[in-house]
Amino acid sequence: MTKVIISVLGKDRPGIVAAVSRVLFERDCNIENVSQTILQTEFAGIFIAGMPAGVTAENLHQGLTAGLADFKMYVQVKPLAENGSPAPPPVAEPFVITTSGPDAKGLVARITAVIARYQVNVTNLQAVFKGGSEPGDNIMIYEVDVPTHIDQQRFRQDLQDQAAALGLRLTIQHRDIFSAMNRI
Amino acid sequence: MSKPLKHQQAAMLSYQEIISTLEMLKNEHLDVRTVTLGINLFDCASHDLGTLQTRIRDKIGRIAEALVPVCDQIGDKYGIPIVNKRIAVSPIAVVCAPLGPDGMVAIARTLDACAREMNVDFIGGFSALVEKGIAAGDRSLIAALPEALAETERVCASVNVASTKAGINMDAVLLMGRAIKAAAERTAGRDGLACAKLCVFANIPQDVPFMAGAYLGVGEPDSVINVGVSGPGVVKKAVERALAGHPDLDLGQLSDLIKRTACKVTRVGELIGREVAELLKIRFGVVDLSLAPTPNVGDSVGEIFQSLGLLAIGVPGTTAALALLNDAVKKGGAFASSHVGGLSGAFIPVSEDLNISDAAAAGHLSLEKLEAITSVCSVGLDMVALPGDTSAETLSAIIADEMAIGVINKKTTATRLIPVPGKKAGERAHFGGLLGESVIMAVNNGAGPNAFIRLGGLIPAPIQSLTN
Repeated sequence: MTKVIISVLGKDRPGIVAAVSRVLFERDCNIENVSQTILQTEFAGIFIAGMPAGVTAENLHQGLTAGLADFKMYVQVKPLAENGSPAPPPVAEPFVITTSGPDAKGLVARITAVIARYQVNVTNLQAVFKGGSEPGDNIMIYEVDVPTHIDQQRFRQDLQDQAAALGLRLTIQHRDIFSAMNRI
Repeated sequence: MSKPLKHQQAAMLSYQEIISTLEMLKNEHLDVRTVTLGINLFDCASHDLGTLQTRIRDKIGRIAEALVPVCDQIGDKYGIPIVNKRIAVSPIAVVCAPLGPDGMVAIARTLDACAREMNVDFIGGFSALVEKGIAAGDRSLIAALPEALAETERVCASVNVASTKAGINMDAVLLMGRAIKAAAERTAGRDGLACAKLCVFANIPQDVPFMAGAYLGVGEPDSVINVGVSGPGVVKKAVERALAGHPDLDLGQLSDLIKRTACKVTRVGELIGREVAELLKIRFGVVDLSLAPTPNVGDSVGEIFQSLGLLAIGVPGTTAALALLNDAVKKGGAFASSHVGGLSGAFIPVSEDLNISDAAAAGHLSLEKLEAITSVCSVGLDMVALPGDTSAETLSAIIADEMAIGVINKKTTATRLIPVPGKKAGERAHFGGLLGESVIMAVNNGAGPNAFIRLGGLIPAPIQSLTN
């Protein structure tokens, strides 16, 4: 089975996932993994599927476009790179970074630039932006994997410096404290 | 479906979970109140004072060296401050039993120096257990108390004068009343501050991480980490938010809310305490999940009573409210941790809680009401400033009353009484820092004699103690 990665984007309404999975089923494709989210009014879904011999990414794309015609979705299908097993990720600890403060252009870009500089990977991102300068109202939550080999003190300091320059309050804490407090 | 990737294995945190935790830290004074390292000193035993001092200093230095740096590191990792780092040692009356009072004072100075070197704010364990009788070492320590507490900064003392199994040692109670009076006189210029570092107990627990009652009990390991969490502000905000959203909540539902909140707070202590212990390669002992206030605004137990609808702590309804609060805290904490110990309940320290000291000043809270509520809370008459002319016998009598409550009800009770030299009821005493300040409370027949107390002897163990 060749694997493909399918992205579906468009206005959210009931029936999208059903339409996608029906098309895949009809072509004897197996859904291996899926992630789906709704941002404001838009649906975004990523599907990893295995195609049987005889089905190509091209004709899967045609089938999906036809099957989703009523929904007016943007669909992309591309083969999943088959270059052996990827390099194992570095040993890392999960942390949660939050920023809160007035909304400003470049906020996410500047913070994520620091994060990227230290080879820290963002695994999940949530935002609640209500706009304006009510400090509590604009909160960004970055769940990150921090490799254990980096200079943690400098990383924290650079984050705090960048946050201060942007007029934000920043916290960085190991993920376990959130799970300990909120999960049985 | 293929196996989830590492970051997906732990289920994703929800926005609500993250925000509510951050709120507790930022606005509700959630913190780990203390990490207390217990160090056993029995293997330092010697007849010779110099040898004792050297051995004690070496052992504490060796074991406690990394305590403060590790606590700071873990506090940073989780973004939750460990506010105080402390040490608790084996009862000095036993460790240093061959010494006389002068020797005991010297040991107190040694402990004080250790605390300074290790950068901890208090060292507890200058203690004696005399519930059934007073041995030579106990007698020396008690005699040394006034000088030891006046001459040192960081040493905390506790004396257990009663237990449900043994009864109340009224001879010891009388000695303690006199010791408190003498300690106050020696620190007259600081409003009797020495007494703020001395607690008299009934049924003292072996593993309290909070001061001034912390000491390392006899059955405990060579070294142990005990954690005290706190969070009265968190509980208060939780109650306020709940009532604002649902004004028709009843006391049963509020009790459940407090229980769940106490559970969260205790999980913090458990997580952080275990990691500190692991890094230090020292056994983890217990989490003490008491609601322990500080003089900071919003970090008050008294305010919880107000959020529950009482005008102030001390008005009718207080004892019932405290019974609910104390019980809910214990239940929540018990679920959160497998090793709960220490006092684990609500503290009512008059000077350390801004709201409680205001309630006393406004006349809502009297000594008599305080005594009544100690029957349902964990501590007792804590940080109670009394008129300077209160006699030693009256102090002993107040202690005796509090001990009786503990002994009969099979619970821990304690007193931390401070007769403020030269001041009268209604005036203010200032202790400073975490010890706060408060109004001086009136005592019935305070300056008068008390022939009952002078009778001495042992009030026998109650029938409740016959549990075999």
